[in-house]
Amino acid sequence: MASTGYHKIILTIGICFLVHAAVSAAQRKSSGQDLHEIPSLIFQGIVSLIVCMYAIIYIAGDLKEIRATEELENKSWETLRNIPSFYMFNHRGRSLSPAYDPTSINKALNEE
Amino acid sequence: MPKPKSSKPGDHTAYSELAVRNNAAVVEYCRTSMAALSGCTAGILGLTGFYGFGFYVLAVIGLWVLLLMRAGSKWNRYFLNRKSLLTNGFVGGLCTYVLFWTFFYTMVHVY
Repeated sequence: MASTGYHKIILTIGICFLVHAAVSAAQRKSSGQDLHEIPSLIFQGIVSLIVCMYAIIYIAGDLKEIRATEELENKSWETLRNIPSFYMFNHRGRSLSPAYDPTSINKALNEE
Repeated sequence: MPKPKSSKPGDHTAYSELAVRNNAAVVEYCRTSMAALSGCTAGILGLTGFYGFGFYVLAVIGLWVLLLMRAGSKWNRYFLNRKSLLTNGFVGGLCTYVLFWTFFYTMVHVY
């Protein structure tokens, strides 16, 4: 239901039709015709209005679910105690690794 | 003796404030655009007097139907009620409508 380029194209087409209707109405008016006897012009105006409105309600944005529980339904209790700022990777468990070099910290400090 | 309403514990629903505001903003955007566009159309068609106001009422109802069509059969997941969706911002939209209506009527039919 997201707004796409497709709906923007529909809106542009609708506005073009509306402008065309306006220009042809102005021309017919200046040539002395009575506009209320031209059903095609009225039809064109109303159809282009409906097309524009259809495109605009998609361009306006997505509707969100108003029930508050909707967002929480996909989450578990584990999500609540997950605090990324407190992640710790630099702990003493690494000295248990067979590839651990105890002098690596001093080397890194001396290089700086 | 009158029965108390909604005595069951599961009857109450919590609504998300943020989502309600977001939906109201979307509907407001649609309503303003609809007022401007239908004002243009009414001016182009050369409506005068009560026909123009009647056209506005028809446009508001048309927008309501389109919004409900978009929300689908589960409209109550997106809106609190349907009636306020129809009547909210009626007069504010009417001001925009009259502005565009008179402007386009003048552009097309007077000059």
